[in-house]
Amino acid sequence: MIHEKIHTENMFLHYGSKLALNDISIQIPEKKVTAFIGPSGCGKSTFLRSLNRMNDLIDGVKIEGKILIDEINIYDKNIDVVTLRKKVGMVFQKSNPFAKSIYENVAYGPRINGVNDRKQLDEIVETALKNAAIWEEVKDRMNDSAMGLSGGQQQRLCIARTLAVNPEIVLMDEPASALDPLSTSKIEELIVQLKEKYTIVIVTHNMQQAARISDLTAFFYLGELIEFDKTKKIFTNPEKKQTEDYITGRFG
Amino acid sequence: METYRIFDSELEKLSQKVIQMCSQVEQQVNNALAALKEYDLVLAKKVVNSDTEIDTLDVKIDKLCQKIFALQAPVASDLRYILSALKINNDLERIGDHAVNIAKRVAPLSEYRQLISELGVDQVSAQTSLLFSDVLQLVKTHDLKICQEIYQRSASVKEGCHEVADQILNEMMQQSEIVVVASNILIILNLIERIAGYSNNIAESITFVVDGEIVKHRKNLQ
Repeated sequence: MIHEKIHTENMFLHYGSKLALNDISIQIPEKKVTAFIGPSGCGKSTFLRSLNRMNDLIDGVKIEGKILIDEINIYDKNIDVVTLRKKVGMVFQKSNPFAKSIYENVAYGPRINGVNDRKQLDEIVETALKNAAIWEEVKDRMNDSAMGLSGGQQQRLCIARTLAVNPEIVLMDEPASALDPLSTSKIEELIVQLKEKYTIVIVTHNMQQAARISDLTAFFYLGELIEFDKTKKIFTNPEKKQTEDYITGRFG
Repeated sequence: METYRIFDSELEKLSQKVIQMCSQVEQQVNNALAALKEYDLVLAKKVVNSDTEIDTLDVKIDKLCQKIFALQAPVASDLRYILSALKINNDLERIGDHAVNIAKRVAPLSEYRQLISELGVDQVSAQTSLLFSDVLQLVKTHDLKICQEIYQRSASVKEGCHEVADQILNEMMQQSEIVVVASNILIILNLIERIAGYSNNIAESITFVVDGEIVKHRKNLQ
């Protein structure tokens, strides 16, 4: 049976007085790729950021309802947000490596988590870079600045940095939207590989990307979850007319 | 908010071409059956010669589908329509070929027009024309109510073909001199039966476009 990794129930989110997410209930399975699609402003990124409490950093955000990860409400008072964000990593649209060496970028997370043994760090860095499918390209230049990498390599380095702290869930907010087709295809291939070990949730504006790499697709519109189903079903025969109209480009 | 899609004009063009293909194939089928009934060799020749137009249109539709797949990455109902257009086009082209094959077999039947009529080939032909008129209507309207009509007519054409074939086999046993012509008629009946089969396929394809349901082979797969 597929384990339910993320579960939200009647979740509402307000930015001040503006309702941004309206009654979202969804069950996201473990070790699958789930894509969120929808027009700009539909709430998909807001919802993604709620899953590791990134919205806590924004003033005036109010969240109601339940967001459970492994059946634990992540908005409970006793939840340590830093531990949560270790478990639920995030990759952003624009790659954001630190102005440090390639090695230090990946070692950064484990180091602040108390790993100081060089041999152990080397192992973690190598595994993370291998899992992010960039090891072969950087293994001989680990001390070079990460800023010298190409956009696609920087993004994979950021994925390696996320993986280095051993998360269970990886949230990705349009991770390939600023990349050329070849780098995009490498990231997509990587995402499909990553689902063997991690639960992936990805926000994308690229409908074909969602179709190519995700197992499940959720369509958001005006802060509501309109339809959530197997990607195959959404892209061949969606239930709701709004989904059909959006994915076929009839509105949005 | 409705958005204009450049894509829509391509889809409209495809839809028009499929309807045109269906309409031309209907003409071919009707002409072939009329040539058979009336022993009209001029009409039969016309059917044979017109096949190139069908083939040309077949290639145009294939290319248009290919272009839409490559450039527009269709999904959902668009995807189902283009997939089905390809299949319907293929079925229509085959029906066109069968009409030609019927037309080519008209000439050798000259002495046996009376026999053909007595055996009931004309009734089967008339049913086939009605069937194909439904197919054209379905392709134009996508009205699934017509599908049931098509399935029923198609079944009765097939049944008619089998009945006539049984009679011909009996006749062949009694009159050995008709073996050659009777074989020709059996082949024509087989072609008509295939036309009915392809008509069913087209109804199944349109059901897939409208409902997203794959209904072909349903009986066998249950």
